Amino acid sequence: MKDALVLVERFTAHPDSRCWHVAWNPTATLMASCGGDRAIRIWGKEGDSWKCLSVLQDGHQRTVRRVAWSPCGTYLASASFDATTCIWKKKNDDFECLTTLEGHENEVKCVTWAPSGNLLATCSRDKSVWVWEVDEEDEYECVTVINSHTQDVKLVVWHPTLELLASASYDNNICVYKEEDDDWECKATLEGHTSTVWSLTFDPSGQRMASCSDDRTVKIWKCQNIEGPDMTWKCVCTLSGFHERSVYDIAWCRLTGALVTACGDDGVRVFKEDSTADPEQPVFSLAAHVSKAHSQDVNCVAWNPKEAGVLATCSDNGEIAIWKYQDDHE
Amino acid sequence: MASHFSGVLKLTDLDDFITPSQECVKPVKLEKKQGESVAKIQIEDDGSYFQINQDGGKQKLEKAKITLNDCLACSGCITSAESVLIAQQSQEEIFKVLRNNKLASATDQVVVVVSVSPQSRASLAARFGMSSSETGRRLTSFLKGLGVHHVFDTGFSRTFSLLESQQEFLERFQRKEQDKSALPMLTSACPGWICYAEKTHGEFILPYISTTRSPQQMMGSLVKDYFAEAQGLSPRQIFHVAVMPCYDKKLEASRPDFYLEEAESREVDLVITSGEVLSMLEQEKVILNEVKAAPLDELFSNVNGGELLSHAGGGSGGYLHHVFTHTAKQLFGEEVKELTYKTLKNKDFQEVTLEKDGVVVLRFASTYGFRNIQNLVQKLKRGKSPYHFVEVMACPSGCLNGGGQLKPLPDQTSKDLLQQVERLYKAETASLPEDDTRVSDLYHSWLHNVGAERARQLLRTQYHGVEKISNGLIIKW
Amino acid sequence: MNMEEKELEVYDVIRSIRDPEKPNTLEELDVVTESCVEVRPLPGDEYLIIIKFSPTVPHCSLATLIGLCLQVKLQRCLPFKHKLEIYVSEGTHSTEEDINKQINDKERVAAAMENPDLREIVEQCVMEPDD
Repeated sequence: MKDALVLVERFTAHPDSRCWHVAWNPTATLMASCGGDRAIRIWGKEGDSWKCLSVLQDGHQRTVRRVAWSPCGTYLASASFDATTCIWKKKNDDFECLTTLEGHENEVKCVTWAPSGNLLATCSRDKSVWVWEVDEEDEYECVTVINSHTQDVKLVVWHPTLELLASASYDNNICVYKEEDDDWECKATLEGHTSTVWSLTFDPSGQRMASCSDDRTVKIWKCQNIEGPDMTWKCVCTLSGFHERSVYDIAWCRLTGALVTACGDDGVRVFKEDSTADPEQPVFSLAAHVSKAHSQDVNCVAWNPKEAGVLATCSDNGEIAIWKYQDDHE
Repeated sequence: MASHFSGVLKLTDLDDFITPSQECVKPVKLEKKQGESVAKIQIEDDGSYFQINQDGGKQKLEKAKITLNDCLACSGCITSAESVLIAQQSQEEIFKVLRNNKLASATDQVVVVVSVSPQSRASLAARFGMSSSETGRRLTSFLKGLGVHHVFDTGFSRTFSLLESQQEFLERFQRKEQDKSALPMLTSACPGWICYAEKTHGEFILPYISTTRSPQQMMGSLVKDYFAEAQGLSPRQIFHVAVMPCYDKKLEASRPDFYLEEAESREVDLVITSGEVLSMLEQEKVILNEVKAAPLDELFSNVNGGELLSHAGGGSGGYLHHVFTHTAKQLFGEEVKELTYKTLKNKDFQEVTLEKDGVVVLRFASTYGFRNIQNLVQKLKRGKSPYHFVEVMACPSGCLNGGGQLKPLPDQTSKDLLQQVERLYKAETASLPEDDTRVSDLYHSWLHNVGAERARQLLRTQYHGVEKISNGLIIKW
Repeated sequence: MNMEEKELEVYDVIRSIRDPEKPNTLEELDVVTESCVEVRPLPGDEYLIIIKFSPTVPHCSLATLIGLCLQVKLQRCLPFKHKLEIYVSEGTHSTEEDINKQINDKERVAAAMENPDLREIVEQCVMEPDD
């Protein structure tokens, strides 16, 4: 392995608590993190290091599991074990809670904005995936409730350009949804993992997805006919033997095409695709690996959307770390 | 097992992988004996349980039985309710009763009454290529051939539901200034919606829900009170079956509110779905359009000149339509001939308004399907609902699309089938509830005589919020 | 370091956990025994702990709750760095796989511990007898 993952900075984000998730804003000037302390923290860069700019504390009664920035960067959505989703609006340097979305029966596990910024998706242990629509007056209405999974839904993610939604579940499956005839429908169910699918990420083109699972593997799925009525997804590659424990998160870099994973073995791994391989049988190789990236489970990995090769990770020990991936071949 | 319940009920399932035999969380009362702190339990090959006492003796353990009522009163799963339901409410039950009748002495026989919903008729009509009325006649013939004594039409009892809704709405409208929960009045005919409201939103939402009984339970009153009395029968001597487009109706019939304590009898003993009627036909190897037609049982049927009638305003009963036109006339002197439905977010969320001198004086809506119910509830919670009346149904497209309706054939799309069923349903001539002289006669003769309190019990019902489980031992996480 | 010593250390933490329903400890009910704990070394001064417990009855709906107690107490009390895997012993429960999956899902465990009713029971079960 010639490539390397170099630590840039490490800081405690949620003291004495888990840090579940960290998210860059679209311009990469801010990060938002959330955790078991029920708080959301906003981070900004001062000089060379990241400083906490504000702490959003009164939105949720339980763990904040996930935060997501709107594509315009003005709004922040947070999903919590208290069964609600909060929408925050940025006002100068502060954030105010605009509204609380209720309806899920229990823990909301994930929230994510569609690229248009008009739709929001949430999912929950109640097995359902909800799509919400935002109007000009910042009012949110439920557009659909889909019950395609038989268990806890861990994550929802939008396609980078199309209005297409994918979800990962404790039932080992991935579902892909599209709007059709006035309502949303599950158009494809991807079966292959043998345990909980924790996370999913689309490749920059949106033609492929990578998923990671409690079964300690990563799978690459390729789509045919993504815009047609009968899309099909096929698993074209399985990365096994690399991860020692559950793989909790995966992210495909839109700038470099590199894949990074967060693992329950405390490690962070970067995979690179062999550009000469057959697209139907892609080959990924481990390009960089930090075995003890954190002292506990790594929960999340997020590529900086503006600066190629920079990524943030966070861990059960409450820390956030910033890394620089150095690719020798470029 | 795939669930048959409406999507709304599936969402209230708080549990994972449950079957009542092993994972039901409902605490069962146990006879505890003193001094047996440690006992071992052994399972025999046949699955029966034995407790091994400290002296080595064996004692067979009773199986805990959970009734459907236990399930309904519990905020746990609904999947358990479903398995219990399948045991207690299936088409096999009607065959059993009919078989017993054939073997029993005359005095032990029960009178079997089947009340068929107009939606079920339309669903079967589409399958067998007949009109809805013709389906009614053939179905009457088929059922009577099996030994059923009377076949009624819940379109008849629906007239009572519509009249009571209209009455209740006017009362609520008049007290809207003093009583914040008087409006909007939310309809109550859909049991999936009621179950969801009771389990999830309890005391907040229940005051808004109309206390008017659904057509199924109105028929329950008619059959087990008026009809029983007229025939000189006790309610237990009548076996009353309803044929419905929806599985959730089975839950409704099982509510304690519809159980006659004194007579130890349910007002509706059994609910079978349109699809289960098809299974009965198949089981008896009968093709419905080849059955000879029989005259309709006009006692409790909405008929004119031998043809079944309908009510205006869509496949879910026409509550919005009737209450709107009646109120417009009664309170605002407006004769509304044609309602203009404005589609809002989606086809299952529509609005009808009445304007007078440029001001909206009535604002009604229909919200079908879970997503629209959700937005309605959230709007109510935020004090942002602009409506006076809302027709709420758990199923997208309403009752004609109920979970108990016949499934499309392999060469049919569900959309085409639904359109066909809608066409057949609407082909029946609409009747005006207030014009039904037999119903108004019954108001005078039957309901007037029983007194106001009893009449209220016969026509109205009540709701009960379900408390969330707070016993840590049985919480599913 | 000797793994047997680590195993005893782990067992010492879990033996006194009380059964959620009965007045007895898990040790008294044979839900856990010394031999149900296995410790393996992991790189970097860390240990993998595998616990296989036996619910009292095959259909015991409290098995997940016992799993939760084991998770919580070990997370709190073990002085050394570890990864934890908890299973019901093979053949002791009719929904073995489901239970194993649930009690090893750290997100489900974290959420469960925020439910006040569940938390109260778990706290009672993991409280040291002499506290």
